[in-house]
Amino acid sequence: MPNCLFLCATLVHYAGPSYSNYTFHLFHSAAEPWPENAALYQPLKDDQILLSDHASSLAVQAYLRMCNLPVQVVCRANAEYMSPSGKVPFIHVGNQVVSELGPIVQFIKAKGHSLSDGLDEVQKAEMKAYMELVNNMLLTAELYIQWCDENTAKEITRPRFSSPYTWPLNHVLAYQKQWEVRRKMKAIGWAGKTLDQVYEDVSQCCQALSQRLGTQPYFFNKQPTELDALVFGHLFTILTTQLTSDELGEKVKNYSNLLSFCRRIEQNYFEDHDKDSITSSTSRLSKGSFLM
Amino acid sequence: MSAPLELYCWKGEWGLPSVDSDCLTVLAYAKFAGAPLKVHKIANPWRSPTGSLPALKTSEDGSLSQPHKIIIHLRKQKYNADYDLSAKEGADTLAFISLLEEKLLPALIYAFWVDSKNYVEVTRRWYAENIPFPLNFYLPTRMHSNALDRLRLVRGDSGLEPGDEAEKELYRDAYECMTLLSQRLGTQKFFFGDFPSSLDAYVFGQLAPLLKVKLPNCKLQQHLKSLDNLCHYCSNILDLYFQNEASDGPARKAPTPRDDGSDFDNEPHKRRNQFLSVLVALGAMVGYAFLTGIVSIQRSNPHNALHGRRAPQLAGDEVDDEDGE
Repeated sequence: MPNCLFLCATLVHYAGPSYSNYTFHLFHSAAEPWPENAALYQPLKDDQILLSDHASSLAVQAYLRMCNLPVQVVCRANAEYMSPSGKVPFIHVGNQVVSELGPIVQFIKAKGHSLSDGLDEVQKAEMKAYMELVNNMLLTAELYIQWCDENTAKEITRPRFSSPYTWPLNHVLAYQKQWEVRRKMKAIGWAGKTLDQVYEDVSQCCQALSQRLGTQPYFFNKQPTELDALVFGHLFTILTTQLTSDELGEKVKNYSNLLSFCRRIEQNYFEDHDKDSITSSTSRLSKGSFLM
Repeated sequence: MSAPLELYCWKGEWGLPSVDSDCLTVLAYAKFAGAPLKVHKIANPWRSPTGSLPALKTSEDGSLSQPHKIIIHLRKQKYNADYDLSAKEGADTLAFISLLEEKLLPALIYAFWVDSKNYVEVTRRWYAENIPFPLNFYLPTRMHSNALDRLRLVRGDSGLEPGDEAEKELYRDAYECMTLLSQRLGTQKFFFGDFPSSLDAYVFGQLAPLLKVKLPNCKLQQHLKSLDNLCHYCSNILDLYFQNEASDGPARKAPTPRDDGSDFDNEPHKRRNQFLSVLVALGAMVGYAFLTGIVSIQRSNPHNALHGRRAPQLAGDEVDDEDGE
């Protein structure tokens, strides 16, 4: 009987991810506890990983730490291609592979860990809306700055993205990815924006987050939720990554409650572990401590 | 105040002031903020100042086309529907607009443009009937491929065949989004109390087409109808702010079942086209007959003509009239 289950699970796993396969998984995996050897895959820390990918990865790591679930961060040059949806990070738990924060949160909920159970309906609606705000504005702005601003793309993004590959593959992959991102920007109407307008959007988004946070320790008062993890991932990465100009970081630094929010999460959830887990990934990039 | 602003937008149908979500959003915001707009309802995007609809023509800043930019411009002109909102409500507005764009809009694009039954029977038919010749052959297909591209890029290249998992995922996200909106609205009249704001304009713009357009194949529509407070909310806005357009709805619907297929407006053109084509065909036949000599008219001498007319000679035909000579 367990062999049948295992066989079914592996077959379904190789059939590719989707919500229908996913709910099949949930039914069978709900009983299994969180294994010790769970792994989170992301691109190479020092040379390859980009701002947007690092933000997403940090968000997932923060969420797992908030749930007290141990995970090992594994860096692979081809993490993007290994991922079932093409986006990083993804986690490998038992014999299941789940990528992106949304599905990972659902997956962990099926295993019995959830941070947002205590919220009422209206609060849940607000949480989902603010998570979409971060995805819609912050993540898109990060992608825009990385790939559509020619300066940044030439000096930072393309060299980093293609660093594991040899000539001529590095040029081909870098330009292909850039073309794809630019097409997406055009489809959603961001192609006509100037860099200043994008910075303005980031500023508006930070203002909205700052107003929602107010003077509370976390977005929904006492306990952190997935929204806190997501916001932390993006803001901390923006603050500690050096790009061609400092303007992105400056936009965030205008809001002191966001700065203290990041500091608080870093101290509570990342300091007990070795500091290497997040700071080494940004050490080559950061211009000293962001607390200054 | 400066000259009134002119807004170009898609015309309306099915009781709506406009069939396009973006146009509805801008129209609703203008009504909420009390902005005096001169509205041109057209069905030809190439006649708008920017080449796409909606488009706002301003006197100083040129023409703007995205609803977001149009609303910002109206706000700058002191037509601000968000004036009374607190800072937190302003932040909530941004967040819920992002929620709409990420979760609900892809499903709407799918339902109207990608689902084959809906696209062929409703969307393409409406656009093909209303866009003037010859654009009606070209534009609907172009809008269709734009919609497909956008969905494919946003969903990350997953397969978009109707009926498969991508559709289920899209619809599931949309159901969740609508349920969340319904919970946030609760029993209030508008999202932030008794007066409408820009968030109401965006929500109305997306939900109203879904509520009113008769789609043959639509689970999204059924889900929306099950959320009573959202249905009342949309009808409320239509009744309060768009009652003259709403009364056009039944009047326009009356001719269509009678004519089934051909639009009432196209009737005179159809007759004229038929008449013209018959005339052209006759002219072509007669011209061919003369040119090849099948038919020839011979000029007769004036004094011969006194004896009677000579019938035109038909090649290969014995004409008995010559006896009459």
